[in-house]
Amino acid sequence: MAQDAAGAVGARLNPQVDSLIRAAQRGDQDAFEQLVRAYDQSVLRIAMNLLRSPEDARDVYQEAFLRVYRNLNAFRFDCSFHTWLYRIVTNICLDQLRKRKVRKEESSVVETSDGAIDRMDTFEEEAAESDPERSLWNRQLKQKIEGALLDLTPRERMVFELRHYQGLRLRNIGEMLGTTEEAAKNCLFRATQKMRSVLGDFV
Amino acid sequence: MTCDSASKLIPLYFYGELDPDEEDRLEEHLHNCVECTHSLDRQRTLASALDRRQVEAPQFLLEDCRADLMAAIQGGAPHADRSAKGPWTLFLEAIGSTFAGLNQLRQPVGAVALVALGFVAARFIGGSPAPVASGAPSDEVFATVRDVKPDNAGRVQIAYDETRRRTVTGSMSDQGIQKLLLAAAREENPAVRVESVGLLQRQAGSGEVRDALINAVAHDANVGVRLRALEGLKDMTADPEVRKTLAHVLLADDNPAVRMQVVDLLVAHRDDAMVGVLQNAVQREDNTSVRLKVEKALKDMNASIGTF
Repeated sequence: MAQDAAGAVGARLNPQVDSLIRAAQRGDQDAFEQLVRAYDQSVLRIAMNLLRSPEDARDVYQEAFLRVYRNLNAFRFDCSFHTWLYRIVTNICLDQLRKRKVRKEESSVVETSDGAIDRMDTFEEEAAESDPERSLWNRQLKQKIEGALLDLTPRERMVFELRHYQGLRLRNIGEMLGTTEEAAKNCLFRATQKMRSVLGDFV
Repeated sequence: MTCDSASKLIPLYFYGELDPDEEDRLEEHLHNCVECTHSLDRQRTLASALDRRQVEAPQFLLEDCRADLMAAIQGGAPHADRSAKGPWTLFLEAIGSTFAGLNQLRQPVGAVALVALGFVAARFIGGSPAPVASGAPSDEVFATVRDVKPDNAGRVQIAYDETRRRTVTGSMSDQGIQKLLLAAAREENPAVRVESVGLLQRQAGSGEVRDALINAVAHDANVGVRLRALEGLKDMTADPEVRKTLAHVLLADDNPAVRMQVVDLLVAHRDDAMVGVLQNAVQREDNTSVRLKVEKALKDMNASIGTF
């Protein structure tokens, strides 16, 4: 998996990033672009995984970095830039997830005559399955997983995404979501319980 | 430790989020409890099933996002890396992406490959001695081959369309230049639109330029172009036609950065007729920053936020 500066999670001091931020705060466009490039891969990845739609992920990317651009002068180095950026990104994604919940939208999962399919399947690299029974089981598991994820509250979904897929520590996640480590722990616990109960025999 | 408390710790244990004491106590329990060990196995199965669901953002989506962002920020100068890409780079990238297993996006990628191929072919022909420009040295000829046919005499007959590139230089006040800029503002290439709208906005005196800017703000698909055009309308916020467009854009544009700038322009000229539009925007706005801005604008106008 490609790594970027976001891989250095939780590091409060990163001299290279700090000097880029200071230069960008002085209006250096190149420095801002380098800063974006250091983090944007993981931003796009989070958005794609959470929202399962390249169009929505694109909107999140644009809005997040435009907010960073406009508010960079307000960044005072009292938390890591990574935390600050992810706070912005998670807020935008949470807004989107909440809106979807209200509208009862089902992200990328669409009903077809062959049953529910995930539009994002084509993004996933999957080995061709020669065993039809196994392939059916996998498809059913996939549907179940989508259903289970839809059952989570936006916040549970977010904590789960950041812990499971992005590998962030719950302490950092709490900080990003403006809550405590304890609350993030509870969220993760609830999320896994819900998924295990929906997935039943599959896991 | 009871099984009940162990079950609460298992997910956190799996993710390495327990402190060392808790970890020790749980491991001791797991050692003696078949049921909880089974529960940990289920946690692992769940995790590996979920792992398969992860998607990576394709590189070209990332590149597109970067280009859009930089266009929005700079008001549109084409992205440095993009402009530096030659036809071969584009072509090789397109081929690379086509084989990356991205079935869903194969079609547009294929289209890029075709364009790249066409462009490469055009460059070859352009450099050949056949279609030489007879005019000024700044002219350049591009050709697209439509048909290749060998004839009986062992020669070959090639049919091609020819496009002549001509460079003109002149001052911004020159009418010919202005006409070309107005046409360029409707060109297919967003980088060309951004640049020409950027130049037009400095000449915002004439009605034609105003109309081109209004058209770009209301209809251009590229956010960088719309933002640039908005800048050009800054000194025309008193114009009723401009205000009508801004009101429409505030309610219809899907980009929050554009809507933010529209609010700035709308409040720059005091007009109580705008209260209804802003109230409507508050009801419909789903972006928090934009909504707060509109609410503040209404407050500054001593108007209520809702229509009640």
